[in-house]
Amino acid sequence: MRMSYADTTQRLGLWAASFRKRGFGTPLASVISILVYGGLAYCIWLAVDWAILSAVWSAKDVARCGDTSGACWSVIDARHRLILFGLYPYEEHWRSTLACVAIIATVILSCFPAAWSAWRLAVLWVVGFATYYLLMEGSLLGLRQVTTDGWGGLALTLFLFSAVVLLGMPMGLGLALMRRSEMPVVRLFAMVLIDFIRSLPLLTTLFTAAVVLPILLPSWLEGDKIWRVIVAFALFFACYQAEVFRGAFQAIPKGQFEAGKALGLGYWSIMFRLILPQVFRHALPSTINMVVVTFKETAIVIIIGFFDVLASAKAAFGTGEWSPHYLEVYIFVAAIYWVFIFSLGQYGEYLKGRMAIAER
Amino acid sequence: MLHVNTYVPIYRTNKEGIMKSLIAIGATVAALTTLSATTASAQSATVTQIMERGTMLCSGHNGSYFGFVEVNDKNEWKGLDIDLCRALTTAILGDPEKAQIVPLSWAQRFPALQSGDVDVIIKATGWTMGRDTELGLQFSLPYFFGGTQIMAHGDLGITDATGLEGGTVCVEAGTTIERIVANYLQTIGVTTNNISYESAAELRSAYLANRCDAFAAWGPFLAVLRATEIDNPDAHVILNDQLSSEPIAAAMRQGDDGFVDMVNWTIASLLIAEEEGITSANVDEMVANPPNPRVARLLGVEPGMGERLGIRDTWAREMIAAVGNFGEIYDRNLGEGSPYKLERGLNNLWSHGGVLYAPILD
Amino acid sequence: MDMTTTEDLRARSRRRKLIIQTLLLAVTVIAILGAVRSAQQNLAALGITSGFGFLDRATGWDYSFSLVERSIDDPYWRTLLVGFGNTLFVGFVSIFLSTILGLIIGTARDSAHPAINAAATVYVQIFRNIPLILQAVFLYSVLIHFPGPRQAVTIADAVFVSNRGLMMPGLNLSLGVALGLLLTLLALAVALILRKVPLLRGFGIWLATSVLLCAVTAVVLRPEGGTILSIPELKGLRFVGGITVPVELVAMITSITLYGSAYIAEVVRGGLNQVPRGLTEAGQALGLSPGAIWGRIKVPMALRSIVPPLGNQWIFIMKATTIGIAIGYSDLFYIVSNSITQSGQTLELIFLLMAAFLLVNFSIALFVNWLNARLQLKAH
Repeated sequence: MRMSYADTTQRLGLWAASFRKRGFGTPLASVISILVYGGLAYCIWLAVDWAILSAVWSAKDVARCGDTSGACWSVIDARHRLILFGLYPYEEHWRSTLACVAIIATVILSCFPAAWSAWRLAVLWVVGFATYYLLMEGSLLGLRQVTTDGWGGLALTLFLFSAVVLLGMPMGLGLALMRRSEMPVVRLFAMVLIDFIRSLPLLTTLFTAAVVLPILLPSWLEGDKIWRVIVAFALFFACYQAEVFRGAFQAIPKGQFEAGKALGLGYWSIMFRLILPQVFRHALPSTINMVVVTFKETAIVIIIGFFDVLASAKAAFGTGEWSPHYLEVYIFVAAIYWVFIFSLGQYGEYLKGRMAIAER
Repeated sequence: MLHVNTYVPIYRTNKEGIMKSLIAIGATVAALTTLSATTASAQSATVTQIMERGTMLCSGHNGSYFGFVEVNDKNEWKGLDIDLCRALTTAILGDPEKAQIVPLSWAQRFPALQSGDVDVIIKATGWTMGRDTELGLQFSLPYFFGGTQIMAHGDLGITDATGLEGGTVCVEAGTTIERIVANYLQTIGVTTNNISYESAAELRSAYLANRCDAFAAWGPFLAVLRATEIDNPDAHVILNDQLSSEPIAAAMRQGDDGFVDMVNWTIASLLIAEEEGITSANVDEMVANPPNPRVARLLGVEPGMGERLGIRDTWAREMIAAVGNFGEIYDRNLGEGSPYKLERGLNNLWSHGGVLYAPILD
Repeated sequence: MDMTTTEDLRARSRRRKLIIQTLLLAVTVIAILGAVRSAQQNLAALGITSGFGFLDRATGWDYSFSLVERSIDDPYWRTLLVGFGNTLFVGFVSIFLSTILGLIIGTARDSAHPAINAAATVYVQIFRNIPLILQAVFLYSVLIHFPGPRQAVTIADAVFVSNRGLMMPGLNLSLGVALGLLLTLLALAVALILRKVPLLRGFGIWLATSVLLCAVTAVVLRPEGGTILSIPELKGLRFVGGITVPVELVAMITSITLYGSAYIAEVVRGGLNQVPRGLTEAGQALGLSPGAIWGRIKVPMALRSIVPPLGNQWIFIMKATTIGIAIGYSDLFYIVSNSITQSGQTLELIFLLMAAFLLVNFSIALFVNWLNARLQLKAH
């Protein structure tokens, strides 16, 4: 058993040796290793057996679900469209599919170093978001019009997410600049706003936007509930992102700003040509982290009555026929979230590592 | 394909929505103009607004409230309350497809009405003094009567609420039922733990999973649930206690009498149509050949029906053609034509032993 | 360069800054005034009377959980206070548990042993990468599908697990005494941390003192004629006696703790990582046991870089309690949301909600700053 590790792969020999030393170096270490790996393997076996081997896959075989000890994926087969697209008109689901692909492609493209300039990223996100919006809304492309109330499921979650990031990023930069301003009133304004929003639960902010703002705003300024919530969510994002930018600003030597001044450059040209490109680079790993957190936090909108992917998941097992299979539905949705968040998070870690090396 | 229930999510254009929101970012600047606020117009502002917008905003539900507001397999809204919304939409705009259903939880319906997210709440909503006065609402003619009842798991072996001592009762958050149940159980001296949930789906699954011993809700809803959604109806009993009888009515914002008239006469016309035997099938025949002056007036063969409300004379005719009379709506959603097969009982016309009646059409 | 132009430029720049600031101030003031005016008009149009008078009215509705007696005749102010108490309770318990669990998992993440490391990594990657609210509703769904109270799983007829929650034996103490005891133990924990007692030993001292103190209090202060221990017993539809932890509370604390501890574990790992290798090697050279190296060298050293981000996590956990509404736990947000629907006093209630969270989070931040200052000072 021990030997087989080292023998099978010579290339990994060194690693294996170290692994063996750390994992099986002492009797205690060996016992721990066997227990932990055994436990993990057992869990994986249970999961595989439940989710794959004993599972029922097709909606047609739903009758067999009662007999098997495994998962009943029939519910996903039958209801996945509801989970992914909510109440969007059934015949128009191809539009939702394409729109979701547009957003996911935008996120993936943003991960390539070739896209890393403020302008390119801005163009990319605006184009991705516009593609999504035009497809989903439809009237401008001559398709059947579907307003935001008809959007739902994963498509709505992605919409909220991309709208929040797109709106929140410039707001965050603005707040960060205000926070650094030499003008005390401007600085104080940004400080109070940032601290206030950051001290409140996101749900409170969104609830206020959804329910309280209409009382405080004159009717012509109200807008739709979904846009009020998006703006509030973007403000929340911006307040955290402003702190990320602030950290990045602090990493830039003061001398650079003074050098720019000495060259006779104005505030804005120093900012845009000299400082901001560096700030963006410094802020990138933390920004990715913020984006990941934002995606995760969108799940909260179910409480203020949006038909997001979690709400549509609940609707998916909310009928008498499917109600015993809540577990499968939750696992399906959790897996969607997990894949998105895990891969983005890992990418952020990788970048952080790479940038740490570059800076050494 | 049956077009009556098609879900049509069209209303104000979204270009406007984006613009508004973008403007809202600069809200601080714009707030300047609040100081020169607009005053309400003389005639029904809501009707004018609906006509300008071209769609009617009605309350939906975050999930299904069987028979009243539900979503079918094709993701379309249907139910008694949805059909009433479509009737009202046809009356004002001439087309049931222009009804726009906004999904809302129970707790959100009043804030949503107050903020203008919906024009009217037609959502199994009881008429209470608190809502009428403190919440600033205005109620229409009641279109349904139903009381709060309690359903319990059959294996508890109880038949009335005194058997619930020490048990857990689940209700939906933000409803009148929440207060009625708490009040009733205290009155009869039964101590329970009450849990309220935000949505019907959550509540249902908690009850079915036996988290709650009993489920307090509106009687018709419980009957529907027991008849269709539960595998074995005999495993559940609806307790004998009748906790309340609520008049269910449409709720509107206070201060727009014209709109209240509009909603009242929509409901009244549906009842009169049933009384007179006018159905969606024979409405054209009736128009061609009105059997009596009342029918002639109702269907706009004689003028006056529309002018008084500031809309078309033919509105009731179009409405009945689109959704049918009250009896048809009931049968389709709750009665014989539905899976629930609920008796009409109190909710029949006065002439058939019920308590529904329309004001006089003169 | 000509002096006058420089002076000129400076003056112009100063004027511009003045104008910008005045404008911002003016816009803010006008926006606030506009909102107030707009609110007055909107509320008047709706016929809603504003003010805090409603706080004295009885609510008339019940909710799922409270630490103290509750009734539907309670006025709004008391119900809101109970909700606030519920938020604080679930928040502090979750903070406590996730900090301890996070410390353990974080240490495991830092471990050289590959298996321990792997297990901790799996834990962190699962619980950190799924939205908290999804974990909570998921867990809640699983828990309410447990057997009912009459089929409850039991351990020695003293602890019962059912879909109503966890019932276990408890000391027969009045609420006031129990709360006093809890606060004493909390104070003891803080004191131990501040005295910089090594972590493991500190925990040992704390545990021993806690058990002793509880036992003494229970014997001395037990109610007239009551037993020392109260054991849950099925009577009719519910369990009587003992401590009942309702399933909503179990789901809240468990999901928040799992999620929070995954984050705290990463904070701890980051802190442990920053401890110079030389120090641990020095410890090894001195022949210290791994436990001693961890408790006396690594953790105290790491604490300084752990505490500030840890404080952020604590605040995050406190804010996360607002998910209670999704699973029927009556936290402050739930109570406020329900009060808004039942009373229509939207503005007043939102104001109270915000004020409560600002108060709590500000206090936590102050405490963390103070703790941080203490740790930094002692280290030098």
